[in-house]
Amino acid sequence: MNKPHRLYIFTGKGGVGKTTLAQAFTRYLASQNFNAVYLTFATSSLGVEGSSNQIEMIDGIKQLSLDLEKSAQGYIEKKLNSAMIASWIMKTPFFRALVNMIPGFNYLIYLGQALELAERDSSLIFVLDSPASGHALTMMEATSNFGEIFGAGLVFEDTKKMLSRLNNPEYAKVVIASLPSLMSWQESMELKTSLKERSPIDCDIVLNNALTPIFKLGDELPLNLREKVKFEEQLIREQKDVIKAVIPHSMESSNLDIQRDLLGSLSTLI
Amino acid sequence: MTIPAKPFEIFCGTGGVGKTTLATSRAIYLASQGLRVLLITIDPAKRLKDLLGLHDEDTGEVKTVQFENATLDALLMSSQHTIKRMAKLNHSEALEQNSIIKTLTKPYGGMNEILSLIEVQIQSEKNIYDSIILDTPPGHHFLDFLSGASRINHFFDQSFIDIFDYVTNKNAPKRFSLINKVISSGVNKLLEYLHKVTGAEFLNNFIEAIRIIYDSKDAFMKGLSLQEKFKQERLSNWFLVTSIEQGKIAEALDIKHHAKGYFHEGHYLLLNKCLEDELAAWTPENDTHLRYQQKALLKERELKHSMSELFENVLYFPDIADVSPLKHISELIKNWNK
Repeated sequence: MNKPHRLYIFTGKGGVGKTTLAQAFTRYLASQNFNAVYLTFATSSLGVEGSSNQIEMIDGIKQLSLDLEKSAQGYIEKKLNSAMIASWIMKTPFFRALVNMIPGFNYLIYLGQALELAERDSSLIFVLDSPASGHALTMMEATSNFGEIFGAGLVFEDTKKMLSRLNNPEYAKVVIASLPSLMSWQESMELKTSLKERSPIDCDIVLNNALTPIFKLGDELPLNLREKVKFEEQLIREQKDVIKAVIPHSMESSNLDIQRDLLGSLSTLI
Repeated sequence: MTIPAKPFEIFCGTGGVGKTTLATSRAIYLASQGLRVLLITIDPAKRLKDLLGLHDEDTGEVKTVQFENATLDALLMSSQHTIKRMAKLNHSEALEQNSIIKTLTKPYGGMNEILSLIEVQIQSEKNIYDSIILDTPPGHHFLDFLSGASRINHFFDQSFIDIFDYVTNKNAPKRFSLINKVISSGVNKLLEYLHKVTGAEFLNNFIEAIRIIYDSKDAFMKGLSLQEKFKQERLSNWFLVTSIEQGKIAEALDIKHHAKGYFHEGHYLLLNKCLEDELAAWTPENDTHLRYQQKALLKERELKHSMSELFENVLYFPDIADVSPLKHISELIKNWNK
């Protein structure tokens, strides 16, 4: 088996099952004895109730919901070497308004915090349940944008370091989840192209919620299902080199059962 | 039920439920009734262009498009273009030239949600549209969009006045010397710390950006008055979209909860991709298929039941077999006339 990456970024159009896939993949990594943590970003603005900011065992996997307030404070504290000043800055309305006005800044804080944690414990593997497509790009761009904005200084050095991690195909990998529908597929390809234009980051597309493991084109099916199966068969045939995994539609009801159902089809994503 | 057109019609919901397609079908339907319609999408995925035959180079410009017998205007939201329009309206070239503002308004700079409010304001001031239809970004980013006005408001909060006074001073000190003037106030102290971790160049650009944005404050503040209009039943329709496929009741409720100040009586739940009739008419040939049919039917019926309990007005849109987005829209348009 290949050596796993340190950071997996799960993304894709809304509603493609990113959360289920990211959690199932964390579960899969853990079953292979890796120290995998399912990672989310709690809120998009300061002043909203956040999270504990601690790694917790939930539903049998390690989970971490990063808190914006705590992450930002921790970062400033480290840079300025003073908890007191950091807490003062966090309280100034100017700083708070600024962070809330520029959403890309949140991502910089979050990514910075995640990479920092990964550096402290070299066994950690993060599986990030990231925002949907366009916002994933905002997140990925945040490092280079803010690098450009700062131009020099400590924060600039940090953004440079973050960028070199994200751009290292051995360190990070983006997994784009797509549904077997025309629109979803087109958007996934667009996203992959945009990401590839920006950086040499490793990037895979997986087809989620596939019907072809259940239905064949010759089956007696309602028109809508038949059209879906037809499209999917053709897609898998034409794009077999691009599609890294075909994940079958699960007929289970509970989220945990669905995840267990998927485990076997995720091994190619490592 | 035919839903009367309002000056602002807002489509929101989680991603992948067909929000863009439904918003587009609504826009075309209203246009086919002879109304003057502008359709704005701030969904960064820009799927609208596929549906209306718009091209990448049209991004940020109002384009007149034709669909069957309907003519309407469409705009793919672009922060850069909105800033340019603002700059023109405010006679402030600096607004589009500051390097920080430039970087942040790049396509994925993250400013789309807030600037889209300004864009809607600019477009509505033209007074040429009967209806402006907004396709908002999915899920929580829709909430960013809603909170855009309060973010703007906080940004221009009274506590900033000192820095604005300072940097808008007529005898403003020259570049690179601004930092030396940093003395006592809270803001100044903050700038001092910022200086420690970034460069002087950044700080000067930053102060300049703040000054420029402050100069255009009026344009930003207008976004606030717009948001008030969104709260009035007379002026707006709200369409919360979800789909059978996803059946994310919890997320729809989350949005309803966060938008409760806005969801007046004129709000509708659109349940997209309904498949019940087709599924029920199907005779599965084996146990796996039977299991699929039963699960799918159960899911759809449960969802319809819960939604009708939660929302007063529920509209149903069918799942459409054809994979072509244009065919999709033609079919959906018919549903607005039921």
